[in-house]
Amino acid sequence: MNEKTDLNDGQIQLAVTGANCASCVNTIESALKSVDGITGAHMNLADRTATATGHADPQALIRAVESSGYGASQIEDPDAADDRKQEEDRKQYKTLLVKMAVSLGLGLGLMIWGMGFGTMMVTSENQPIWLTLGVVTLGVMAVTGGHFFSGAWKAFRHHNANMDTLIALGTGTAWVYSMTVASIPDALPEMARHVYFEASAMIIGLINLGQALELRAKGKTSEAVRRLLDLRAKTARVIRDGEEQDLPVEQVRAGDHIRVRPGEKLPVDGEITEGSTRVDESMLTGEPMPVSKGEGDEVSAGTINTHGSIIYKATRVGSETALAQIIRLVKKAQGSKPAIGRLADRISSIFVPSVMLIAVVSALVWYNVGPEPAVVHMMVAATTVLIIACPCALGLATPMSVMVGVGKAAEYGALIRQGDALQTAGKLDLVILDKTGTITEGHPAVTRFHATDGDTRRLLALAAGLEQHSEHPLAEAIMAKAKDQGATPDNVTRFEALNGKGVQGELDGQTARLGNRRWLESENIDLAELQEEANAITAEAGTPLFLALGNQALGVVGVADAVKQDSEAAIRRLHDAGIRVMMVTGDVDGTARAIAEKTGIDDYRAEVLPEDKATIVSEMRGKGYTVAMVGDGINDAPALAAADVGFAIGTGTDVAIESAGITLMRGSLHGVADAIEISRATVRNIHQNLFGAFAYNSLGIPVAAGLLYPLWGILMSPILAGAAMSLSSVTVVTNANRLRLFKTTSNAGKEGNQ
Amino acid sequence: MNALLVNAGGLILMAAIVWWFWLSPSGGGEPNHDHSHHH
Repeated sequence: MNEKTDLNDGQIQLAVTGANCASCVNTIESALKSVDGITGAHMNLADRTATATGHADPQALIRAVESSGYGASQIEDPDAADDRKQEEDRKQYKTLLVKMAVSLGLGLGLMIWGMGFGTMMVTSENQPIWLTLGVVTLGVMAVTGGHFFSGAWKAFRHHNANMDTLIALGTGTAWVYSMTVASIPDALPEMARHVYFEASAMIIGLINLGQALELRAKGKTSEAVRRLLDLRAKTARVIRDGEEQDLPVEQVRAGDHIRVRPGEKLPVDGEITEGSTRVDESMLTGEPMPVSKGEGDEVSAGTINTHGSIIYKATRVGSETALAQIIRLVKKAQGSKPAIGRLADRISSIFVPSVMLIAVVSALVWYNVGPEPAVVHMMVAATTVLIIACPCALGLATPMSVMVGVGKAAEYGALIRQGDALQTAGKLDLVILDKTGTITEGHPAVTRFHATDGDTRRLLALAAGLEQHSEHPLAEAIMAKAKDQGATPDNVTRFEALNGKGVQGELDGQTARLGNRRWLESENIDLAELQEEANAITAEAGTPLFLALGNQALGVVGVADAVKQDSEAAIRRLHDAGIRVMMVTGDVDGTARAIAEKTGIDDYRAEVLPEDKATIVSEMRGKGYTVAMVGDGINDAPALAAADVGFAIGTGTDVAIESAGITLMRGSLHGVADAIEISRATVRNIHQNLFGAFAYNSLGIPVAAGLLYPLWGILMSPILAGAAMSLSSVTVVTNANRLRLFKTTSNAGKEGNQ
Repeated sequence: MNALLVNAGGLILMAAIVWWFWLSPSGGGEPNHDHSHHH
């Protein structure tokens, strides 16, 4: 399938281990890009996967990542990789907790010893004890924090610095200093013979704790994808050679007939061949009401058969189902980075070496102008600066929110293609709507009917009797209405379709005619009685069709492309969000005006040729608007591509729309408002995260360097810095998770009505 | 004497940081020359 190749061809996905911060992202991306044949690389910190675009040996990519200090393995089957990653995350979570317990245990023990029973000062009596404890601390640091040191070393060899560098330098400095004190106390002034073994152990413990909490919160952010994955049925009841058998869903082939009983999940995409039912598609489209389906209708994997028993023929199986495509799309978008996130990456790549410089500068300042014991102060200040400045919160700020935001949008049936669309959708101030199929249903329907003698059922029976032989779209509308009203089509003979006039036939020896006014009047049929009703139909952008039997006018049927029930409410929501709404249509001015007035649209352009829609989009962008174009994705592709954000209104579960930034699975305009509200909430969340992370670092570093000391005598302890650092990443991840609770106003409205 | 050594050491350290991470030719990450390492 096309969709599959588009997403997978020339892309190699790797699962990356050991990456913790924004600078890791840069290192890994440039390592991948340096491999021959790779044109682009992209690392997603939130789910720790990297995607390389181009053609290269996966092993070469793995080696490139490994030699820059991280671990990598190729993801061949995304589903299996997902399960494996969950399993690994669980294991890593446990490991981190054990490591935390060991290092915090030692650190706390030393602290209690120092404060309660003994002293942290080295004397000639306790020197052997401190030397032993120093070796023990080194052992604990190696076991519980070895990954920081190896990561830092690997990065260093390649002229890179990352979060590991800062932790390793910070805790290493404290240990080396303490060990020096313990070995040669006499070389230092008496006041400076203080050991900081507990700081090294505590910092590693706290950072392990922070990473464990982060891992758990991260698991929650990918819930949207997991929810979609859970929609997949495990087995299917396949009818082969007249026998029903339960088969694993992987063994279902296109063309198989499958029976689904009420309450069961549909295993693959297909077309109903027997029976009729109502299908709950809410998990795919966000549409809350089950949809009626009968023979010949398409059904999708992952939806639930709520009503009758059906048999359907599988058309798309495995990775080709709409559900599988949605999962791929959502995953891909979750990993993509909006512009705002790339800025954070650039900043943090120069950030770590800068912090190292600041640490050296503050150490020198303390040494030169600080109070005694200067050596202790310089060591504490440098260590604290290194520890508090870890940029992990900065690296997590954007991807975490994007992941939750994209998942949230998918819940509402809006599939976002890239992070950029998510960011731009929040800034929109003009939405241009295509008329047909977007504001309206896209196919004609009977909107009004009026019988001269009041017998509307007879009117529809005759109209349907005439139209049942016709293949015109109007005929379908009339047939549907007749069925709806319980009118059985009359048995009309000698049917004839007259181009530009209407249709005629014979009933009980009389000529029956259904058509436009000019034709019927030319046949000497008096329509004056129906004038008022006909005017009402025209005013609503409909087409009046007059019906006559013999010379007697029987009534009039209004057929129009009806405005979708919720279009008006959705447009009001856009207005409430401060967005101007404009309509473009190929229809004549009168029809366009009627629709615009009915739905409250601010402005419209009528008689627009399809190819001119893109020009109008560009024109409005030129006027300074941030423009969204909403259309059906096929005819409107150029206009969708020309807009800042293109919204393709999908029909049901057809997601293969490449030209749009956002695809709406449900044919409702509410999706546009939902997507915009979610985007705004996500961008707001990213801003909060970035602000928090930057503020934390820009406040934390000066305090750690001792800027408050001259004023109030406050010098931060390295242990507190370690706790604050862990807390900052946990805060960012928690704030991103808050987005999961976000509800759009459509939801609020719905709840209010219930 | 001590003060001089410490300050000079600090300045050299800073110069080394700037050189190693920003100015040296393989800075900015060109990690593909070491294939001996296996994770």
